[in-house]
Amino acid sequence: MAAPLVLVVLAAVTVRAALYRSSLAVFIAERVEVASPLNAWKRVVEGLALLDLGVSPYSGAIFHETPLIIYLFHFLIEYAELVFVITDVLTAVALYLAIQDFNKVVFKKQKLLIELDKYAPDVAELIQTPMEMHYIPLKVALFYLLNPYTVMSCVAKSTCAINNSVIAFFILATIKGSAFLSAVFLALATYQSLYPLTLFAPALLYLLQRQFIPIKLKSKSFWLYTMQYASLYLCSLVVIICLSFFLLNSWDFIPSVYGFILSVPDLTPNIGLFWYFFAEMFEHFSLFFVCVFQINVFFYTIPLAIKLKEHPVFFMFVQLAIISVFKSYPTLGDVALYMAFLPVWSHLYRFLRNIFILSCVLIFCSFLFPVLWHLWIYAGSANSNFYYAITLTFNIGQILLISDYFYAFLRREYYLTHGLHLTRQDGTEAMLVLK
Amino acid sequence: ARAAAALLVLLGSCGAALADSPQDQAEQFFRSGHTNNWAVLVCTSRFWFNYRHVANTLSVYRSVKRLGIPDSHIVLMLADDMACNPRNPKPATVFSHKNMELNVYGDDVEVDYRSYEVTVENFLRVLTGRIPPSTPRSKRLLSDDRSNILIYMTGHGGNGFLKFQDSEEITNVELADAFEQMWQKRRYNELLFIIDTCQGASMYERFYSPNIMALASSQVGEDSLSHQPDLGIGVHLMDRYTFYVLEFLEEIHPASQTNMNDLFQVCPKSLCVSTPGHRTDLFQRDPQRVLITDFFGSVRKVEITTETLSLDRDVAGLESKFPEEELATEPLKYAEQLPVAQIIHQKPKQKDWHPPGGFILGLWALIIMVFFKTYGIKHMKHVF
Repeated sequence: MAAPLVLVVLAAVTVRAALYRSSLAVFIAERVEVASPLNAWKRVVEGLALLDLGVSPYSGAIFHETPLIIYLFHFLIEYAELVFVITDVLTAVALYLAIQDFNKVVFKKQKLLIELDKYAPDVAELIQTPMEMHYIPLKVALFYLLNPYTVMSCVAKSTCAINNSVIAFFILATIKGSAFLSAVFLALATYQSLYPLTLFAPALLYLLQRQFIPIKLKSKSFWLYTMQYASLYLCSLVVIICLSFFLLNSWDFIPSVYGFILSVPDLTPNIGLFWYFFAEMFEHFSLFFVCVFQINVFFYTIPLAIKLKEHPVFFMFVQLAIISVFKSYPTLGDVALYMAFLPVWSHLYRFLRNIFILSCVLIFCSFLFPVLWHLWIYAGSANSNFYYAITLTFNIGQILLISDYFYAFLRREYYLTHGLHLTRQDGTEAMLVLK
Repeated sequence: ARAAAALLVLLGSCGAALADSPQDQAEQFFRSGHTNNWAVLVCTSRFWFNYRHVANTLSVYRSVKRLGIPDSHIVLMLADDMACNPRNPKPATVFSHKNMELNVYGDDVEVDYRSYEVTVENFLRVLTGRIPPSTPRSKRLLSDDRSNILIYMTGHGGNGFLKFQDSEEITNVELADAFEQMWQKRRYNELLFIIDTCQGASMYERFYSPNIMALASSQVGEDSLSHQPDLGIGVHLMDRYTFYVLEFLEEIHPASQTNMNDLFQVCPKSLCVSTPGHRTDLFQRDPQRVLITDFFGSVRKVEITTETLSLDRDVAGLESKFPEEELATEPLKYAEQLPVAQIIHQKPKQKDWHPPGGFILGLWALIIMVFFKTYGIKHMKHVF
C-alpha cells in the first residue's frame, strides 16, 4: 500500500507546487473563505514583523496565533510553502495510518459480533469485507490531499493546515490506543484552536472500548480511567500554556487567542454563521448571543456521546463536522478535514437519502462564494445578504450531510441487529424513521 | 565690493519716508521667507440652498486672483454648480451682494474639483500631495518649502468636524495630521487657514505643526450666520463673516501694507453675531508684521536699483551680514523634500528577536520526554 500512497503524495505535491508558482496564489491567498482572521498568513507575517520591531505581536488586533506558531515560523518563515506542503502530507499520512488501524479494529469487532451471533441472519450483504476495505485508507489520503478545499487552503498558506495536522495526529494516537500521546495531541489541538475540546469525549470512549472497560456510570474502573485520561490532558494543556508564557514573558496571548475565539470581535465575512448576526446586533444583546452561538458547538457532545457510545470514531467524525460548521471562524480547511473521512463510511452509500441534493448544494455554493463576493465587494450590485445566503446554504448543506450520514449509520446498525426486512406487528413492511 | 553693498543699503534707506535704520530696512526686505503663493479654496456643501457657501468661496477666489495669484496656483473645489443650477434665475452668475451688485462668478473662473470630486479623500490628497500619477497639474498643489498657502474652507460644520457633501466628514484631527504631513514633507513655508462654518474654531484647535495661522468665523458652541437673502434669487447669498472679509479685501491692493491684526478685527460681534476667533501661537512671526498680501496675493519683493552689482563670492559673504528672519526650516534640496530618499538608503533590518533560551530548552525537553515515554527508554541505546 505504500507505493500508491507515495504516488498520491507526489501528485498532491506537484499540484500545490504548480499553484504556488502560478498567479492564482495571490488571488487565493486573499479569499476570505480560506483565510480567516485566525489563520491568515498575512497576519502571521505581520505578527513576526512586529516582533522584529520589538513590539508584542498581540498588542494590536491583528495577530491571533499561539506562541508555538510564532516559534515555528520564526525559523521557518523563508520556507513557508515547503512547511505547508509537508504539513498536508503529514496529515494525509497520519490519516492513512489511522484508518488502516481503524479498519483492523472494525473488522475484529465485526468478527466478534458474528461469532457471538449478535447479527440477524439476513444481513450478509451489509457486512464489510476486507476486500472492499482494502483501499479505504488510500482513498482517505486521496480525499484529503486532492480535495480542492485542501489545495486552496494550502496555497493560501492558512495555518488551518497545522490545526488539521495536529488533529490528524491526535486521531492516529487515539486509534493506536496510546492514551498519553492522544492526550498530548488533544491538548495541542485545544491549545491551537479551542474547539477540539469536544473531541475529548469520543477519544475517551474509544480508549475505554480498547481497554475493554464497560461504560457504566457506577463502574469504578471507568471513572479511574476517565480521571487518568482527563488529568493527562489537563496537565499537558497546562504545561503547554505555561511554556507559551515563557516565549514572550507575558500572558497577552490568552485574551488575544482564546478571548478572540470566544468573543468574536472581528466580523470579517467568512463561511461561518457568526459574522452577519453580530454585524447587525445591538450591543447589549451581543454577549447573550455570543454565549448562545458558542454553546451550540459544545452542546451536541453529550447527546451524541449517549447515542454513539459504541461507535466513537463515527462520533469523532460527526463532532469534527459540527466543529467546522459552528465554530466562530471556520474556513474551507476545516471542511476538508472531515470530508477526508467520507470514504470510511462508503458502505453507508445505499442508505444515504439526500446525497445528490447535498452534493449539488455544496458544489454550487463553492462556486457561488467567489461570484457573490465579487458582486458584493467589487461590483457593488449585491450586498452582504447575498453572501450570507450562500454561507447559510453551504452550512445547511453541511448539516444535511452530517444528518444524512448519521441517519444512514444508525439505520445500518439497526438493520444489522434486527434484519434487513423489517415488519410491523401486522406483517406489512416497516420503515425506519429518525425522530 | 563691501562698500558698494553698504552704499546700496544707504540708498534704500534714503528713499524711505521714515528714517529707518539699515536693520529695519533689511528686516522689511527679508520680512517673509516665501517665494510663491498658493491657495486652496474649498466649498463643501451641495444643493441650491447652500448657495452662500459657493458664493463665499468664489468671493475669496476673486480676491485672491485679483491680488495676483494665478489660476495655476489656485486649487478651487466647489461641491455644486450654482451658476448653472436649474434653480438659478440668473444663470451663469453667482452674486455676493443683494440686488445683484457683485457677480463673483465672472468670466474666467477655473474650478479644479467640481461636484462629486470634492471629497475628504481628494482634499487630503491635494494637501499631502499623495495624488495618483494621472492627475492633471491643475488639480495638484505643487507647493514647496517656500510656499505660503491660503486654505479657505466653508460649509456646514460642527464641533470638531466639517461636513463634506452631506455624506462624510473631515475631523479636526485629520486636518491637523494632514498639515503635519505637509510640514514634514516641506510643502509649505507658512499656512493661513480660514474657516467659515458653525463652530469653526473647533477645526483649528488640534493643529500642532509650526507656521500655521488660523481664523474662524465662530467659536465652539456658536453658529455662523448668513448675511442677507436676495429676494430675486430666493436664497441667502453670503455668510456674514466672509461678506465682511470680502469687503475688507476689496480695499486691499497688491502694494497694501495692511497686516493680519487688521484681518483679526474684521467682523466684530456686533456685525457678525458670532465671535470670530483666531490662533497664532503656532506662527513664528508676529501677526503685526505679516502682510495680508503675504497670503492673499502673490507679491514679489523687488528692489529696483540702477547700480551694477558684481555677483562674486564677496557679495555672497555680504548677504549674510543682513539679519535674516530665521525660520525653522533648513534649506533642503528637492530630492530630500520627499522621505523616499531616506527609505532608499535604508539597509534591511536584521532580525532582532529570538525566542528565549529557556523556552527552547523547555519545549525540546518536553518533546524528548514525550518521545521516550511513548517509545520506551530502550531506544536510547540506539540513539547514542
